[in-house]
Amino acid sequence: MITSTIGVPEARAECKLQVEDLNVYYGDFQAIKTASLEVPENRVTALIGPSGCGKTTFIRALNRMHDLSPNVRVEGKVALDGEDIYARDVDPVSIRHRIGMVFQRANPFPKSIFENAVYGPRIHGVRSRRMLMEVCERSLRRAALWDEVKDRLHRSALDLSGGQQQRLCIARVLAVEPEVILMDEPASALDPIATSKIEDLIVELKDDFTVVIVTHSMQQAARISDFTAFFLMGDLIEVGTTSEIFTKPKDKRTEDYITGRYG
Amino acid sequence: MTAIADSKSFASRRLLESQRRVADLLATIVLWGAACSIVLLLAFFVGYLFYLGAGTISWHFLTAPPSEISAGGGIGPQIFNSFYILFLTMVFTVPVAMGAGIYLQEYARPGAFTTTVQFCAESLATIPSIVMGLFGLIVFVTLLHWHFTALGGALTLTLLNLPALMRVTQEGLASVPLIMREGSMALGATKWQTIRRVVLPSAIAPLTTGIVLIAGRIFGETAALIYTAGVSVSAGRSAYDWSPFHTAETLSVHLWYTHSEGLVPDAARIGNGSALVLLVMVLAFNVLARVLGRLLSHRLTSK
Amino acid sequence: MKGPVIASASTRAHLQESVARTVLLAASALVIVAMAAVVLYLASEGSRLFFSDHISPLTFLGRLTFDPENRAPGALVFIVGSLSVTIFAIVVGGPFGVAVGIFLSQLAPQRLAALMKPTIEILVGIPSVVYGWLGLTLLAPFTRAHFGSQTGFGLLTAGIVLSIMILPTVISLSEDALRSVHASLKEGSMALGATRWQTIFHVLLPAARSGLTVALILGIARAIGEALAVQMVIGNSAVLPKGLLSPTSTLTTEIVTDMGSAQAGSVMQHALFSMAFLLLLIAMLLIVGVRAALRRPS
Repeated sequence: MITSTIGVPEARAECKLQVEDLNVYYGDFQAIKTASLEVPENRVTALIGPSGCGKTTFIRALNRMHDLSPNVRVEGKVALDGEDIYARDVDPVSIRHRIGMVFQRANPFPKSIFENAVYGPRIHGVRSRRMLMEVCERSLRRAALWDEVKDRLHRSALDLSGGQQQRLCIARVLAVEPEVILMDEPASALDPIATSKIEDLIVELKDDFTVVIVTHSMQQAARISDFTAFFLMGDLIEVGTTSEIFTKPKDKRTEDYITGRYG
Repeated sequence: MTAIADSKSFASRRLLESQRRVADLLATIVLWGAACSIVLLLAFFVGYLFYLGAGTISWHFLTAPPSEISAGGGIGPQIFNSFYILFLTMVFTVPVAMGAGIYLQEYARPGAFTTTVQFCAESLATIPSIVMGLFGLIVFVTLLHWHFTALGGALTLTLLNLPALMRVTQEGLASVPLIMREGSMALGATKWQTIRRVVLPSAIAPLTTGIVLIAGRIFGETAALIYTAGVSVSAGRSAYDWSPFHTAETLSVHLWYTHSEGLVPDAARIGNGSALVLLVMVLAFNVLARVLGRLLSHRLTSK
Repeated sequence: MKGPVIASASTRAHLQESVARTVLLAASALVIVAMAAVVLYLASEGSRLFFSDHISPLTFLGRLTFDPENRAPGALVFIVGSLSVTIFAIVVGGPFGVAVGIFLSQLAPQRLAALMKPTIEILVGIPSVVYGWLGLTLLAPFTRAHFGSQTGFGLLTAGIVLSIMILPTVISLSEDALRSVHASLKEGSMALGATRWQTIFHVLLPAARSGLTVALILGIARAIGEALAVQMVIGNSAVLPKGLLSPTSTLTTEIVTDMGSAQAGSVMQHALFSMAFLLLLIAMLLIVGVRAALRRPS
């Protein structure tokens, strides 16, 4: 049996993101079936489930990434601090400023480390060189990358190792100062040491951000998350605190997955 | 297995087998022969043109103006005009073609407009260059009363090369992986910001290679220029005329004109020299395209 | 540790987005306008022969002698010339090009393929006048010496030059067509014990049929549209070709030869514009053919 190493949070956290009756269709195929979830503020919420269960589809609906795909249809409500991000007059571009995303494969731009880190502020209009340097240093420190790259900020980001590139991508998101950070299996392409660095980082980040993380590793979810949601074939089966899910799951399917009967 | 084994005798199966092998061998020889002859053909052409024209090349030949009736003329102004028209054509072609290419690749939705643009581009690409030259004659030379001008030639060449540069742009953009775009959009960038700051810079190597190769083709273009830019250089004024409205015979047009109407006694010699210079320019553009392409893609990874 | 809040995506960025979208759309619309202009002006000038000079299209398309001075500009001789030289080019250059395309996609070892790519790019880049010059200085004397032709100019020389000129087009399009055939087809055939040639002939070529058709159609388009290289070696006499060695003319070479001396407003000039318009129509017909070939599932 897996036990969570994170204690149950003492006070009840505010709800940062409220997902109500979310449905996502790829053409005729329904990938997410009426999922509802409350994502608490300043906590780490993990989405687990076997491959193909829809967790990536779900998380991409939280920052309107599906807008970029022509044949994907999203129905339902996703409320950030009470306001639906899918409402008619909401600009998706500004949503993605408040809800950032880190991808499964590190995708640094073919530019220097500095340029990658300040990309966000630049496109939002920050010009002052001094301010950009400040943001760069702050974000890279926050992402636990500063000491490793401070002497080569103007070298290409593609020269970094996989783990360093992913931390750079996290720094990139941090520089935009979002409220929510979505992470789609951020460490799945990395070796164990790089993975543990990322995990430590995530636990630190929840003081200032709300984190939602998709992971295929139950151990990872148990190590770093406060709340866990279990998906299976497009359905959200069960949500609860991490320790509840892993020690006393309510649904038999959750129990089967946790104990490794399939997955 | 037994059905096949029983239906034919052992000997006839052996025969069939060796027939198949022979056919395969023959085909392999033919295909290899075809490929090698292409390489040999080019080598032979290049060698022959060097052999014919090497003797003519001299500093005088490359810089002096052509002579009307006596021997000893040069191709200086023609080389100038070739570059001038190339530059002018690029000024028009690059913005329009890249603009249309970016739109088709990044913004356009399937529909009547998109299909029409693509159909028009494909058609423009198939129009024979002499026909386009006549269009230029109708509009730029006659209708607008410009007579033979470099500008008219450049605009005509723009029409001919729009489709090629559009295709280069679209392929260059397609070579940038989706995850790059998603990374930028996920940070709150607009589509144009993403294209301008991430996608285009990432595609700089294939774009540059493609543009330089197209420039090489423009340099050698002839049929569309004969009746738009003319067959002579500015008479009376300096032959190196910077105005876009001057009659601008390019090197390739000069080669054709010397052959067909040349009154000078050394027309053959001039032709050989011109042909060689044209060939060398084509090789130079090709080499430049590859070198730049390689340089730029290395710069992206280890700056 | 929170720093100053960075303002959200400004209205400036959104304005830039709208402007960019409009400008890019305008560039695309310009392509349509350009094509429309080309068609309209060529149609307008090309129909003067019929509407202003009152020459019947039947005369233009059906009469064998080209006699504009006597108001009888029959372009049939040039049409036949164009067709002859194009057929020669595609019959010789087509299979040759497809063969090299097969070689590049199926047989070529890495080094040779890397050598051939720039070779083909250079062959494409060589200007048509230079091909014409090579035909003039190399091929014509050869034909004169070995084939018994008087001048060395004629259908044969022009056909050979044209075959070489369409090679790069046919080669690269055939190669693309063959490469896009799914690997599983090839593997399935080889797994049944077929030799490489049998696989190519019975499986790959049919599977790539639509792409190969496009390669040949565009090769034809290139051949029929080529003017200068052909004009330098075909002899330029407005008579029907009696054999491979006799000089003749095509639609394109006739335009090149006589446009310079044609008087503005004359029947000659109008006839040449009509020939240009005819070539435009043929080109567009070929595009329609290409689209039809691509639509057919292979």
